Amino acid sequence: MSAIQPPSNRLWWKEPIERVEITWVLIAFVWCMFLFFMMPYWHVFGKQNLANEAYRNTPEKYTAKVQEMISKYKVREETGLNDVKIPVVKPPAGSDVYLIARLWQWEPILELEEGQTYRLHLMSLDWLHGFSLQPENINIEVHPNYEHILTVQPSKPGTYSIICNEYCGLNHHTMVSKLFVTAKK
Amino acid sequence: MADSNQPTSSNEVYDEPPPFMQQLLDNPWILLFLGVVIPTVLYVIWGIMEIVSVPIAP
Repeated sequence: MSAIQPPSNRLWWKEPIERVEITWVLIAFVWCMFLFFMMPYWHVFGKQNLANEAYRNTPEKYTAKVQEMISKYKVREETGLNDVKIPVVKPPAGSDVYLIARLWQWEPILELEEGQTYRLHLMSLDWLHGFSLQPENINIEVHPNYEHILTVQPSKPGTYSIICNEYCGLNHHTMVSKLFVTAKK
Repeated sequence: MADSNQPTSSNEVYDEPPPFMQQLLDNPWILLFLGVVIPTVLYVIWGIMEIVSVPIAP
């Protein structure tokens, strides 16, 4: 088979291509096209939860917005590691809800309602953290000085875990929190 | 068909250049240039442009 032998002509591009070679090229090309078009297809139809709205912000201004939410909507407190008291807030449906990521805790704890839509704001006060909602497996990087917003709609009531999945130092493994979803009224 | 491409004497020079894509793939310097410039523009420069254009929080 001259597909694997050297060409007999010097002007090798004038030789017609072997059937085996063109079949191989076609199969590889079709597979490449499939992989290529899966990218935009899955982006549109794959129900990916994207944090595609972002703003540049400062820790002071962001903390002020979080404190405002906590003072308006705090319902109780939960005790975290080392007896740290973390406020639990229950913001109204459709509103902006805020989470601070910092070494080494999430603040505050959110209590959301099933079926309602919220704009979840995420920002770090120090360096890179990862927001990972378990077991839903929603994962967003949380940056310092960049506020990312994603739209969430809890679909099932229960208690979810938030863990930090970007290594952020000695107590990274203790940076866990909860997210409560109450049943639809 | 194959024989019409052979020279009539060993001194005859082929004056037909290879196809353009083959000339491109035969030049390692062009390939080096494209291999550095294309990812730099598409990843680094486009990425920096996107980061710089993130708006300030209202």
